[in-house]
Amino acid sequence: MALAFDEFGRPFIILREQDQKTRLRGIDAQKANIAAGKAVARILRSSLGPKGMDKMLQGPDGDVTISNDGATILEQMDVDNQIAKLMVELSRSQDYEIGDGTTGVVVMAGALLEQAERQLDRGIHPIRIAEGYETASRVAVEHLERIAQKFEFDVNNYEPLVQTCMTTLSSKIVNRCKRSLAEIAVKAVLAVADLERRDVNLDLIKVEGKVGGKLEDTELIYGILVDKDMSHPQMPKQIEDAHIAILTCPFEPPKPKTKHKVDIDTVEKFETLRKQEQQYFDEMVQKCKDVGATLVICQWGFDDEANHLLMHRNLPAVRWVGGVELELIAIATGGRIVPRFQELTPEKLGKAGMVREKSFGTTKERMLYIEHCANSKAVTIFIRGGNKMMIEETKRSIHDALCVARNLIRNNSIVYGGGAAEITCSLAVDAAADKYPGVEQYAIRAFAEALDSVPMALAENSGLQPIETLSAVKSQQIKENIPFYGIDCNDVGTNDMREQNVFETLIGKQQQILLATQVVKMILKIDDVISNSEY
Amino acid sequence: MASMMQPQIILLKEGTDTSQGKAQLLSNINAVTAVGDVVRTTLGPRGMDKLIHDDKGSVTISNDGATIMKLLDIVHPAAKILVDIAKSQDSEVGDGTTTVVLLAAEFLKEAKPFVEDGVHSQNLIRSYRTASTLAIEKVKELAVSIEGKSVEEKKGLLAKCAATTLSSKLIGGEKEFFATMVVDAVMAIGDDDRLSLIGIKKVPGGNMRDSFLVDGVAFKKTFSYAGFEQQPKKFLIPKILLLNIELELKSEKENAEIRLSDPSQYQSIVDAEWNIIYDKLDKCVESGAKVVLSRLAIGDLATQYFADRDIFCAGRVAEEDLNRVAAAAGGTVQTSVNNIIPEVLGTCEIFEEKQVGGERFNIFSGCPSGRTATIVLRGGADQFIEEAERSLHDAIMIVRRAVKNSTVVPGGGAIDMEVSKYLRQHSRTIAGKPQLFINSYAKALEVIPRQLCDNAGFDATDVLNKLRQKHAMQSGEGASYGVDINTGGIADSYANFVWEPAVVKINAINAATEAACLILSVDETVKNPKSQSAQGDAAAGAMGRGRGGGRGRGMRRR
Repeated sequence: MALAFDEFGRPFIILREQDQKTRLRGIDAQKANIAAGKAVARILRSSLGPKGMDKMLQGPDGDVTISNDGATILEQMDVDNQIAKLMVELSRSQDYEIGDGTTGVVVMAGALLEQAERQLDRGIHPIRIAEGYETASRVAVEHLERIAQKFEFDVNNYEPLVQTCMTTLSSKIVNRCKRSLAEIAVKAVLAVADLERRDVNLDLIKVEGKVGGKLEDTELIYGILVDKDMSHPQMPKQIEDAHIAILTCPFEPPKPKTKHKVDIDTVEKFETLRKQEQQYFDEMVQKCKDVGATLVICQWGFDDEANHLLMHRNLPAVRWVGGVELELIAIATGGRIVPRFQELTPEKLGKAGMVREKSFGTTKERMLYIEHCANSKAVTIFIRGGNKMMIEETKRSIHDALCVARNLIRNNSIVYGGGAAEITCSLAVDAAADKYPGVEQYAIRAFAEALDSVPMALAENSGLQPIETLSAVKSQQIKENIPFYGIDCNDVGTNDMREQNVFETLIGKQQQILLATQVVKMILKIDDVISNSEY
Repeated sequence: MASMMQPQIILLKEGTDTSQGKAQLLSNINAVTAVGDVVRTTLGPRGMDKLIHDDKGSVTISNDGATIMKLLDIVHPAAKILVDIAKSQDSEVGDGTTTVVLLAAEFLKEAKPFVEDGVHSQNLIRSYRTASTLAIEKVKELAVSIEGKSVEEKKGLLAKCAATTLSSKLIGGEKEFFATMVVDAVMAIGDDDRLSLIGIKKVPGGNMRDSFLVDGVAFKKTFSYAGFEQQPKKFLIPKILLLNIELELKSEKENAEIRLSDPSQYQSIVDAEWNIIYDKLDKCVESGAKVVLSRLAIGDLATQYFADRDIFCAGRVAEEDLNRVAAAAGGTVQTSVNNIIPEVLGTCEIFEEKQVGGERFNIFSGCPSGRTATIVLRGGADQFIEEAERSLHDAIMIVRRAVKNSTVVPGGGAIDMEVSKYLRQHSRTIAGKPQLFINSYAKALEVIPRQLCDNAGFDATDVLNKLRQKHAMQSGEGASYGVDINTGGIADSYANFVWEPAVVKINAINAATEAACLILSVDETVKNPKSQSAQGDAAAGAMGRGRGGGRGRGMRRR
């Protein structure tokens, strides 16, 4: 890269290692950036909608992921280009905030970039395009607010929530059992939701998976599932009305943290030490028994000697339970985590109606169910499936569904899916465009056209004629002035999304439009790319 | 060639590059102009951003002059001066970094023909200095004070200044939203000079409208141990204890070693250790605090102990956050749990742990001293938030300067045109060469409105002529006319609230003139060869190229 030349045509060295840098500026930079952004969007385009396809991604270590979730695909792709990275972050931030619609937002941004390129060719200043887009996105968001519908639900009547979750799940590989999965997701969210504050802490929902069985066996456990078994094979497999001591200290003789040394010079001393150690074990077990615990869950391990003693004293125990799980168990059973045996009191014990160990099929793998807890504020979704990839994808799908349910509890407004929301926004934006004087008008129209690309992709992926279908639906919307008509992806025979029960959350849709606009503005605003040529 | 016959006198170390004379001066000017060209397009509301990869592969997208200059990694000695003035403008006033680079480059560009014609550069320097003094006086004269207005009114005016700064940034679309936020934040910390009291927290996700201002402190949930979720997450008017000690079961002395000869004493050592930590925890509880924060770790034992007693705790809180909490809540950071008197405990109206995007945040709001504010920024991509943070920093600086030095001038190139006109008129009254130089200084000032037009894609010459006509009006009513970025015409910047604090302009003119004069006064560069040993082969190789390519046309003397 040369910034300047002197009179003899020799370049100035102004920057460090100047000749190793490349520079792209002006319209070329914009074109290159747009091309990169579009390329990313093109990859995801075919994943959109109920008939969207999945992507198979192989990681650097040979691990394989199959997914339909936009954020996951982009995350795994490990893109290098900076603009492409922006698109990845775009998808990720939709994931953080809303959890669903991660594919849609990228497709939308890609369409906006494509339209922007056309406007650039017309000679419109990139920032004016971006400003036009911003105006248009505001129009679209307001329009969505207007057409959004509220629906009422309560703990007993959660049908609408299930319907919305089903819309999300229908595009996933698990759509075979979307009804049951949606119900599981909604019940789980309702179980942990704080309906007063409209807040849902998704950390309280644990999603656990185990290879084997079939997808239909997936279940919701009002309690905790721990992938551990009893420390001793002869301990009882089922405990009713369990009083659980939750410990974060090992069944071991205590060790001072300060460096220490015990000088043993006589046999007697050794004997005392040995006796003392045994006494420790004895005391520990006795303390647990004294407070009335019938089950011990421990974060650390214990010596074989302690294990044997526990077995002997008829006190079932579980060892090496992770910190997060321990916390969940404490919350669910209403117990307290006890860091020291001396602190054990009967009040600190957790209570569960039933603790049982369950083994699966012919394998020796066993898991521990802790159910009928005192406080069922923590639940577990236990996924079964034929192979690991399937389970991972189901986990992701369930996560999306959980997010949707949570968003609905926060804000119970919905818009209609199947591209209906995009089409009506497109119409609204197009109508609004004429009111704006100046070059921005063109950008606003371009925005409207870009909005069409989502239903277009839906139709394409469903094997319909994209242009014909879109124009038919559009005219229907205008004619009847109803914003519910969308693309009939499942070939049900009606375009009315209300009848098909295809809902999406209002905040999710609004977020998509705003985020896509934001990133597109950022990309359009760059007119100079300075990089080391190796990039 | 007679000199070749003489024995060679070696004065400097071999490999030293020296360039001198007029040629050197011109080459320096060329280099500076080239750098000015890089940042040129970032000026104004239609300015573009730069995407820069650095050596380590990290990427910055920015519109901020100082940031770009810093990342360009300039090695040319003369051009480096531009980086310095951009930095100084950044630290002095916080905004106008592009302006200052542009002005310096333009001053030198105007000086170039004179240098080529053989004018002594000291003459130029003297005239430039005079011109800059005159220009600054004129700016001061034109500045309008916003002193003496009511607080509400002043807030509105300050927001206008902030909006002008923000309009050229990525978050320009929401400038009113952010301008009010910035003004509120600055007003909250009052006259205190510590900028660190305004915290900016970045949370990816959401859109920028979801950003919010906390009239207190907010920080991300710290690493927590098991038991944390059982602690209460909301308090009304809690007492807050701030610590700088570890609440963990650990060895009290690093190098101490205990030797036991009697195994039965073993238990007493264990107990002693537990008692130390329990003692600490008890004292925390006794103090009556409901929220315990520590800069160092709060271990799992302490977490569960506090959870049992319905106390919220957070360990490993970043130092700046802890200091902000101390300032806001009125507490003092303690390095010991002994003797905690009620005065060292802070308080606030509401403490809450809240979900923001994918993160959980601890938010302290309604603090009694009200001396802090935290802006929680949301945005679609990391790059986006980074740039938004830089933009907000600029805006905060501007508002702070405007609060202290409350005079404003019309922006949009209006003030530059007016000063330029004034200097032109003044130059007519001078006999001799300075007339020419001051005139060219005046012309250089016009670069601001010209660049604004160029960036927006307007016909710069046309707009500039319209502006000149307005500013030349005897009545002086056209004095505040600047470029209208929306229509491509001209408009009264003052009436349209395109305002910037006078101090930005004054500092920019000052710094740019200084830099220009500095470069004009240099007539020889002596560049020592890089010491070979220290830098290793890579650096030496790079230097070799640098020298071989030849900066300037300094003749290699033999």
